[in-house]
Amino acid sequence: MNMQANIATPETSEQSPSLSSLDEFANELNAVRERTMAKVGKTDARYIRNLIRIQRLSDIGGRVLIVLGFLHPAYWVIGVMALAAAKILDNMEIGHNVLHGQYDWMNDPNINSRKFEWDNAGDSASWKRYHNHEHHTYTNIIGKDRDFGYGLLRLSDDTRWKPRNLWQFFTYIALCLNFQWGIAYHEVAGERIFMGKRRKTSSLPITREELKYAFFNKAARQLFKDYVFYPLLCFPVFLQVLAGNFVANLLRDIWTNTIIFCGHFTENIHTFKASECENETQGQWFYRQILGSSNLEGGRFFHIMTGHLSCQMEHHLFPDVPARHYPEMAKEVRAICAKYNIPYNSAGFFKQYFSVVKRIIRYSFPDNQSSTLTPA
Amino acid sequence: MQSSIIGKRNKAWQWLMGSLTNHNSLAEYFEPIIQLVLPKWRADLVRTRVHTIRHENQDMYTLVLKPSGKWQDFQAGQYIELTVEKDGAWVSRYFSISSSPAYFARTGLIELSIRIQDKGNITPWLPQALHRGSIVNISQAMGEFTLQPEHQSVCMIAGGSGITPFRAMLQQLSFSQSKQTTQSITLLHYARSSQHFLFKEEFENFEKHHSNFHLKLMDSEMIGNVTSAHIGLQSQLNSHTHFYICGPSPMIMASRKILETLNTKPDHIHYEFFGPEPLSLDVQSEQTAVLFDRSHKQVDNNKNQTLLELAEANQIKPVSGCRIGVCHQCICQKKSGVVYNTKTKTYSDTGAQEIQLCISVPVNDVVLDL
Repeated sequence: MNMQANIATPETSEQSPSLSSLDEFANELNAVRERTMAKVGKTDARYIRNLIRIQRLSDIGGRVLIVLGFLHPAYWVIGVMALAAAKILDNMEIGHNVLHGQYDWMNDPNINSRKFEWDNAGDSASWKRYHNHEHHTYTNIIGKDRDFGYGLLRLSDDTRWKPRNLWQFFTYIALCLNFQWGIAYHEVAGERIFMGKRRKTSSLPITREELKYAFFNKAARQLFKDYVFYPLLCFPVFLQVLAGNFVANLLRDIWTNTIIFCGHFTENIHTFKASECENETQGQWFYRQILGSSNLEGGRFFHIMTGHLSCQMEHHLFPDVPARHYPEMAKEVRAICAKYNIPYNSAGFFKQYFSVVKRIIRYSFPDNQSSTLTPA
Repeated sequence: MQSSIIGKRNKAWQWLMGSLTNHNSLAEYFEPIIQLVLPKWRADLVRTRVHTIRHENQDMYTLVLKPSGKWQDFQAGQYIELTVEKDGAWVSRYFSISSSPAYFARTGLIELSIRIQDKGNITPWLPQALHRGSIVNISQAMGEFTLQPEHQSVCMIAGGSGITPFRAMLQQLSFSQSKQTTQSITLLHYARSSQHFLFKEEFENFEKHHSNFHLKLMDSEMIGNVTSAHIGLQSQLNSHTHFYICGPSPMIMASRKILETLNTKPDHIHYEFFGPEPLSLDVQSEQTAVLFDRSHKQVDNNKNQTLLELAEANQIKPVSGCRIGVCHQCICQKKSGVVYNTKTKTYSDTGAQEIQLCISVPVNDVVLDL
């Protein structure tokens, strides 16, 4: 419970391990990475191809069953589940990991980070540009990692309390139900297109027009597919298909949102100031990745359905190692963290999720100390 | 008019398929499923069965392949990209087709004659991994290094495995209807030793039946590499002669230089590099070049710069992000050449593959799709 005092306070860095021990820590983690990469090969290629096959069958099977729903509602229900599963696999275990370059070594034109496009409202190239660079480089640095609270939620004392935070639990529910649009809008392009927010030093090598085109083009294609083409294709059961696709997208949104929130916004997550992270060493960077992420425990099926984001810490340490190795690596990482006295935040799903909800609610209200102090 | 309608229809179809599958085509979307029935099937390549593997001499072998019906015809002298699966990864190499279109028309077979590279990753491995019935993938034929029938006097200069496109051209002539070609052809066939003259019997046999063909076996062990005397001694050559050169790049460079001193017109010299063309005829062999294929820029690589820095220094602005190898935004297709990855501290394969520009330093001649 001692940890409680350190949460989300800038003082964290004062208690961090010494630079030299973090160097050793980094060496040990690099060794884990090397041992794993030596194993990567044929089995990984077979694994991802098989997973894509399952995704395809579940995609097609789901869509057919949704249509057959006029025979019996159970078909519709199973169809929706299958389509949602296909979308989840496509976005998480396949898309997210492929876009991190985990399978680039396969040299496959359709399984590589340069070309992969997912079944999701956000254009994958724009998402990758933001996510892989900013979120993974500046994890949980307030002001730099826009994933921290998605610009909607106040999740630590680092950001000033505003009255709108009072109802942020409902904002959270709304975000959860529309997560793909939240990602597309907030992370990828939306704000920059609509609000004219321009950064002083843009690292974007593409123009706003290109960004705008990518955003609308992808959004249009996705809406066309699920809400125009397939319903019209099966016109007599138009509504049934439309509703099925809607629910499948909704289930995917709730699931991905929940898993992702459990990876970065659990109770014991730390936040950082940009100044703390300047010129950091690899050891410090690894340390920050661990403090800024949390794991979920579960079986193999659970790990696959989360795209192995259940091993969020390992993912942040080794973003381009094929994710199916994370559970194995987690055992070693956990032991190494214990050796260096670095907190390793891992627990079951319900425990972690409950602490996320707690965090959202807790920071809905102004910080006790600052609120009792008179404004200077 | 009609073609524009078809073009629009194709575009609409592509848009529809792209929207439904998030892939360029239905075939790409179904590729993993199709592979269950046809292992190693690729939407973008031609699935090809290995017919036989023939050993030519201690360091050369010939892959005899039977491409599927998707494969279009080719011209003698063209090359293909061979793609095989090794440890879960696709690896590709370019090879000239060493047999003729006429032979393909009769048998449905093509031949690739491959030299085993000393420390090669792929060429020593192929004859062990492949056997009759194995599946490989090939591209459609590419390249402009073909024998022009209007060139009446021709001199072919072949170095080592550079003989392969000439074998295709000569085999094509030997199969052709009119037994006598009007073209006068001289082949200067350079090899490391008398043991290394590939297809020697075939060429000698061809010479017997074609009075216009002259075979000159040039044993480098005895007479060294190409000199102006070697070319000057050929009495049948004249100022109208077209020279076709194929072999290792130093040999192509040397031959071009000699032909320049012999006042051969530049448009009478034909050659093909499987990499960036060296900037000038005088460059040292240690100096390497990077060819930015799409930007049509070729630059010298003498500093130890990463490819990203090199590109930016030459006003090519690839998409980039973290610059430390994490974000995978600067990923780019390397068509050929070896690069050193400063993050993993490993050397790349020499064939086509995706690389991260920000952590790749070119080791030899590199061609980028940029």
